[in-house]
Amino acid sequence: MKKIAIDQFSELVKVLAERGPLYAPVKGKEGVNFQAIKNPADVTLDFYNTVLSPKSVFFPQSEDMIRYRITHGATEAQPVPQESRPAVILGVRPCDVRSFEIMDRHFLGAGVIDPYWKSKRDNTTVIGFAFDVSAAADPADFYNTFGYGAADPEGSDVFMVRTDKALLLKSMTDRGKKLLDSLGFLQVAGAQDEKVFEETVKKGKAVRTRSAEINPQVIAKKLVSVFDNGEFWQKVTMACIACGACTYGCPTCYCFDISDEMLFKEGSRKRFWDACTFTDFTLEASGHNPRPRIFQRYRQKVCHKYSYHVDKYGCISCVGCGRCTRVCPVNIDIFSIVDEANKL
Amino acid sequence: MENPYIPMPMNVVKITTEVDTNDIKTFRLTFVSKEDEEKFKYLPGQFGELSIYGKGESPIGIASSPTDPGYVEFTVQRTGTLVGGMVTTALHDLEEGAQIGLRGPLGNAWPIDFLAGKNVVVVGGGFAFTTLRSLINYMIHGENRKRFGDITVVYGARTPGLLLYKDEMAAWQKRKDMVMHVTVDRGDASWKGREGFVPTVCKDVAPSSKNAVTVICGPPIMIKFTLPVFFDLGFSRENILTSLEMRMKCGIGKCGRCNVGNKYVCKDGPVFSLAQLEQLPRDY
Ligand SMILES: Cc1cc2nc3c(=O)[nH]c(=O)nc-3n(C[C@H](O)[C@H](O)[C@H](O)COP(=O)(O)OP(=O)(O)OC[C@H]3O[C@@H](n4cnc5c(N)ncnc54)[C@H](O)[C@@H]3O)c2cc1C
Ligand code: SF4
Ligand code: SF4
Ligand code: FES
Repeated sequence: MKKIAIDQFSELVKVLAERGPLYAPVKGKEGVNFQAIKNPADVTLDFYNTVLSPKSVFFPQSEDMIRYRITHGATEAQPVPQESRPAVILGVRPCDVRSFEIMDRHFLGAGVIDPYWKSKRDNTTVIGFAFDVSAAADPADFYNTFGYGAADPEGSDVFMVRTDKALLLKSMTDRGKKLLDSLGFLQVAGAQDEKVFEETVKKGKAVRTRSAEINPQVIAKKLVSVFDNGEFWQKVTMACIACGACTYGCPTCYCFDISDEMLFKEGSRKRFWDACTFTDFTLEASGHNPRPRIFQRYRQKVCHKYSYHVDKYGCISCVGCGRCTRVCPVNIDIFSIVDEANKL
Repeated sequence: MENPYIPMPMNVVKITTEVDTNDIKTFRLTFVSKEDEEKFKYLPGQFGELSIYGKGESPIGIASSPTDPGYVEFTVQRTGTLVGGMVTTALHDLEEGAQIGLRGPLGNAWPIDFLAGKNVVVVGGGFAFTTLRSLINYMIHGENRKRFGDITVVYGARTPGLLLYKDEMAAWQKRKDMVMHVTVDRGDASWKGREGFVPTVCKDVAPSSKNAVTVICGPPIMIKFTLPVFFDLGFSRENILTSLEMRMKCGIGKCGRCNVGNKYVCKDGPVFSLAQLEQLPRDY
């Protein structure tokens, strides 16, 4: 295990940012979010969790897939080259770290590999970051439901714990070890530090979020049987205005739109985050829309995460990060809805 | 790494206007690259994403049959009434000699091995006949014909001018190894064929359900009234097949657009049996 004094942290940030892309939490007008770091001083460790999830690092809100130029009759088109230098994402909360594996199952699974997700994911070392285990969890969070603790290092390449004066950095994978070994200026942590690290992980397990007994296989079947209970879905989604904020914030929502943008014969085919709660998500050219009503679309969202994803990939696609509840303008809370459905 | 989002370049070698309303055209495409052509192995029922840079992509069923090698055909309706659909309008504006893009083949296919040895009743309405045409051409091609039992086709359109593939239909009608029932909702002065809706014609024709499968594609309203006819004839849910339509983007099960329950129509479909559909939530 390695460590670095808190007042040296910007040194670490500087070196990482020089070597390749570094993504870390930055405080902006909209709150703290992951950004590509240009100025080391921008990075903050004083946040509960980012407003938007870290998925944007592997799956940007808008991403050019193909660039093209149309000249007389012919079209030259090239897939957008992917960053080849190794990248680092630093400061990912334990529940969010788990979202990457869930997204991997989709983007790398079912027989088709998404090259845009894969190249960034393969290229990036994940430095997880324990929540403050002496503080209470945000009331919206419910990651305990999935058995996650506030300081679980699993899934991270390097896991980072903050003490009064230092940041402890423990490698969890070979990739993480390689990274730490390459940072010669880090101090070697002592036995006392190891103890603090272990204690933090343990204390993290005692941090309580909302939690419910939700078995993936059981809830998957349950939701299928609740599907036709229109009364239930209308009641729980009555207030929803289909703004899509919950899906944009979500680390495990992966729906995207593909669209062309062209100006003066040059353009790109891009993908953008989309939201199954949007009115025209399933609107066909014929005018037919299988999910014209909000309750049908929100039901799709819940059933996708807690039923279809389980059938397809064996796990629930939600980590209980609480973002959807925090950002929703009308206080819709997926946890309560699933919990209620589970008890029907 | 293979990039499944990159279309293959295709030459538009032939454009046929199918209907008298001019809004349905068949595009014959050939491969610019020999390598792409060799890789493109498809079966009837699959679809492709037609791509026009600057406009976008549209999922379109493959209307040709792999038994006619060297090209692929797509029959496309120009969508939109006030504002034209982006891609389908751009396709309709093309001239022969143009170059477009194609991704595919995508999705599953009509289950040829399941159909083999059985009597096949093909029921189509309107311009949804495209992948059925592929299937018919596949089944009646040379040696293939022996693999299938009786082939009965019921095909309907609103007016005679809206019937697709007229020359081919005429040739099929002359064949002794298949039975054609072409119908229109409303005939005109020159129409000598059948008049009546597809479900009614199916009832009249009353194909036996013994060792038979029916493959049905058409507008939802046609399907709604045709299904009971086939139930009455004794067709089981497993032996009624159809092709689902959902809005699509990626066509490869990644963009999350086209799911019905735990199935992505673009990847697990578009072909489903009624038995499979009844397992899914009514969300299409
Ligand atoms: C499996 C499958 C097979 C199809 N086969 C045919 C065919 O053989 N012939 C034919 O004319 N049409 C077919 N369609 C419908 C055709 O895809 C749409 O009419 C077309 O995408 C409209 O595109 P647009 O850009 O002109 O319209 P716009 O309204 O501008 O659509 C914008 C985008 O939305 C998506 N979209 C809109 N409507 C549909 C839809 N109904 N289905 C799927 N995606 C849609 C497309 O990505 C499209 O590019 C098929 C659809 C599916 C799903
Ligand atoms: S659904 Fe809500 S709680 Fe679950 S992962 Fe997405 S944003 Fe977090
Ligand atoms: S649940 Fe809330 S955040 Fe999500 S679409 Fe509805 S109103 Fe918007
Ligand atoms: S069209 Fe993208 S998942 Fe089916």
